Amino acid sequence: MKKKLLSVLLASAMVISLAACGGGDDKDNNNSSNNNNQQVEDNNTPANNDNNGTSDDGNGAAGGEDLAYTGEITFMHYSTSEESEGNGGSDAFRRAIANWDAAHPDITLNQEVLANADFKTQIATYANADSLPDVFMLQGMNAASWADQGLILDLTDAINNSPYATNYNYERMTPFTVGGKYYAFPALTGLTCTVVVYDAQMWADAGYSSFPTTWAEVEAAVDYFEGQGIDTIAFGNGGQWQMNSDFISCLGYQYTGTEWFDHIMAGDGQAAFTDDSFVAALTETQRLFHDTQIFNSDFNAVTNEDAREYFIAGDAAAFIGGNWDFSYIKASVDADKYANLKVAVLPQVADGSYVNNYQNIGMGYGVAINAKVANDPDKLAACIDLAREITGPDFAVYVGENYAEQGFYKASFDMSSFDQVTVDFYNFNYVDNIATEIYDSYVDGSVWGTLNADMQAMCNGEMDPATVAANAQASYEAFLGN
Amino acid sequence: MLNSIRPKNRVIFAYLLIPVALFAFTVFVPLLAALFYSFFEWKGGPFRNATPNGIANYKELLQDKVFWKAFGNNMYLVVACIIGQIGIAFVLVMVINSKLVKLKGVHRTFGFFPSTISAVALGFIWTIIYHQKYGLINWFLDKIGVIDGTRNGKVWLNDTAHIMLIVSIPLIWQYIGYYMVIILSAVSAIDTEILESAEIDGATAIQRARYIVLPLVKSTLLVCITLCVAGNMKAFDNIMIMTKGGPGNASMVMALYGYTTSFQYNRLGYGSCISVGIFVCSLAVIGGSQLLMNWLMTDKYDRIEKKLQKKTDKAMKKKMKELQKGGALNG
Repeated sequence: MKKKLLSVLLASAMVISLAACGGGDDKDNNNSSNNNNQQVEDNNTPANNDNNGTSDDGNGAAGGEDLAYTGEITFMHYSTSEESEGNGGSDAFRRAIANWDAAHPDITLNQEVLANADFKTQIATYANADSLPDVFMLQGMNAASWADQGLILDLTDAINNSPYATNYNYERMTPFTVGGKYYAFPALTGLTCTVVVYDAQMWADAGYSSFPTTWAEVEAAVDYFEGQGIDTIAFGNGGQWQMNSDFISCLGYQYTGTEWFDHIMAGDGQAAFTDDSFVAALTETQRLFHDTQIFNSDFNAVTNEDAREYFIAGDAAAFIGGNWDFSYIKASVDADKYANLKVAVLPQVADGSYVNNYQNIGMGYGVAINAKVANDPDKLAACIDLAREITGPDFAVYVGENYAEQGFYKASFDMSSFDQVTVDFYNFNYVDNIATEIYDSYVDGSVWGTLNADMQAMCNGEMDPATVAANAQASYEAFLGN
Repeated sequence: MLNSIRPKNRVIFAYLLIPVALFAFTVFVPLLAALFYSFFEWKGGPFRNATPNGIANYKELLQDKVFWKAFGNNMYLVVACIIGQIGIAFVLVMVINSKLVKLKGVHRTFGFFPSTISAVALGFIWTIIYHQKYGLINWFLDKIGVIDGTRNGKVWLNDTAHIMLIVSIPLIWQYIGYYMVIILSAVSAIDTEILESAEIDGATAIQRARYIVLPLVKSTLLVCITLCVAGNMKAFDNIMIMTKGGPGNASMVMALYGYTTSFQYNRLGYGSCISVGIFVCSLAVIGGSQLLMNWLMTDKYDRIEKKLQKKTDKAMKKKMKELQKGGALNG
């Protein structure tokens, strides 16, 4: 009898332990990855400190404030060590986090670091399960919804009262402002999403002293490049989002002006995707991609990663993509091509009402704090300190001096040591052009998903712009209705 | 003797409880949860903030053109794969089984090989094969002079009209070996004497395949078709890699649409509703295909016999009734 009882007990114990495994699995994995990441960061810290004198200044500020909190802070972001190779924002961010961690030995900073695509899914899953980490990267698109649901903390006072407040670039605050309140410290760096990268020598051979400023001139160059057996401009829309982030989100402003998108963001009913101006932008996009031979014929089947290889290999005279593509191209071309590397804004359309040199720039992510942290004032102070320092001067000075990029904190740094390509890109981003908002940093994924899929069909000539606009508007109204 | 080492029923039951509990936890709980969530408008964030909206999601699903297009694409995959995978596998089995073919084990192993590779890796491989400029297909067409330079070749993955065929080819190619191995095991169980005597009687290879092998392995084929239907109703990975459902929504399949809706559009309530829709549609298609297969697989003569039997039964009953009536009257 005893044996039977024991076997039943054992069996049920196994069931329970197995079930528990199911639930606990994630956490275990995360912890082990945390430990790995932790190790990587610890290894990096001394090297970084040795390399750069400014880090000590930053550390001084970070360590200057005594934090009462001792314990654990969970922090989730997507600056993996792989991504930080050559990526200024990511590199400086990891370094600033490591510095903060080193300056606060009493606080255990538990990091969960995932690649961006995985991060987006994972953080949404945490939000759905109401188990967000203490501190995490908030995507601008989620700010309104998560603020309304009380998931993220109102950081207005923390930002306004920050010792660095006078140096903050409040333009970068837009994606994280909900009802006049700030919900995140804008993080990493602000760089363009739409840039034309071109080989000046190839265009000089075609008879252009610089990249054409109008689409008509670009079209005139097509015959020459076709004769050379290469594409005029390489573009990749295989992922469907590229046509949005890297093209219409910039070209659109030439037709709609900036006010139109302000209304779309606000959802005040004063702007619609079916407005003539936006339909005109879609029509021009369709014309450029479907009716002319400017772009590589497989633009809808290849990704931006493939398309930029066409440019690097010399199979295309120019390429349109985001800053991430530019930094990859910069690192991949040989010395000859590097010397000829130039950047330009999107050429101007013939029939737009607001034709200008626009480039869409912003900081899509900010450091936000879980609303639950507010229950523990000491912990809250520590979390705010972390968010402020990793987006503050320690980060900004390093990323400026090493990569010529700007973050939320406007640091002044010496540009003289940079080569012409880097200086050109700095001026492109921060000096020469009119900055506009990136469409898909706002509104909702469902609206952009509908628009992106339809635009792909539209650029194949299988859908007309008016229908594309109507579908996007229906999706937008469904979003606003809820 | 046996009884003494046979554990008591309760013990057996307790051990069986483990897999049953796991199965329930991983299959029934999510299914019921999805059913529950499908009655809510849940746009990300904790579930407590979701609002019940009755059957609004289901109403939307019935009118959702993308979902029904995706369902149509899944059906296309099912038909293409039944013909492509099982059909070709059957032909290959017949070929391998012929006396002329040497190294049967090698054919079997290499045939099975593609189904062991992850669909994601295969998706990438075929993306390169279909690539306009660097792909194998356009390179070949260029070499034999069909196209003038790969730059002027077809952009395969952007061909809306034929995109479903283009994405099914890798899928068919991958699983031919899988079904080949299953059918091969069924065919090798057939008594060789039957085939040999048929051969002596002058039956050709095609006749032997049609009239002897096919009827004898029909139950295995039925299993293959069920597996094939179920597998293709949940097609996801290679399409996700190759086209992301594009161009536009031309190659969208139900699972990909459910995933996109839930995790990219953050519409978890509607995403759950799509999952329930997939479940119902798949159940209907699998059930329907089994009924159809049973009907098709029943011998023509069996059917005629059954019909005749029914007729005679009816006539007999009528006669009996008449007799009974007559008897009652007489009585």
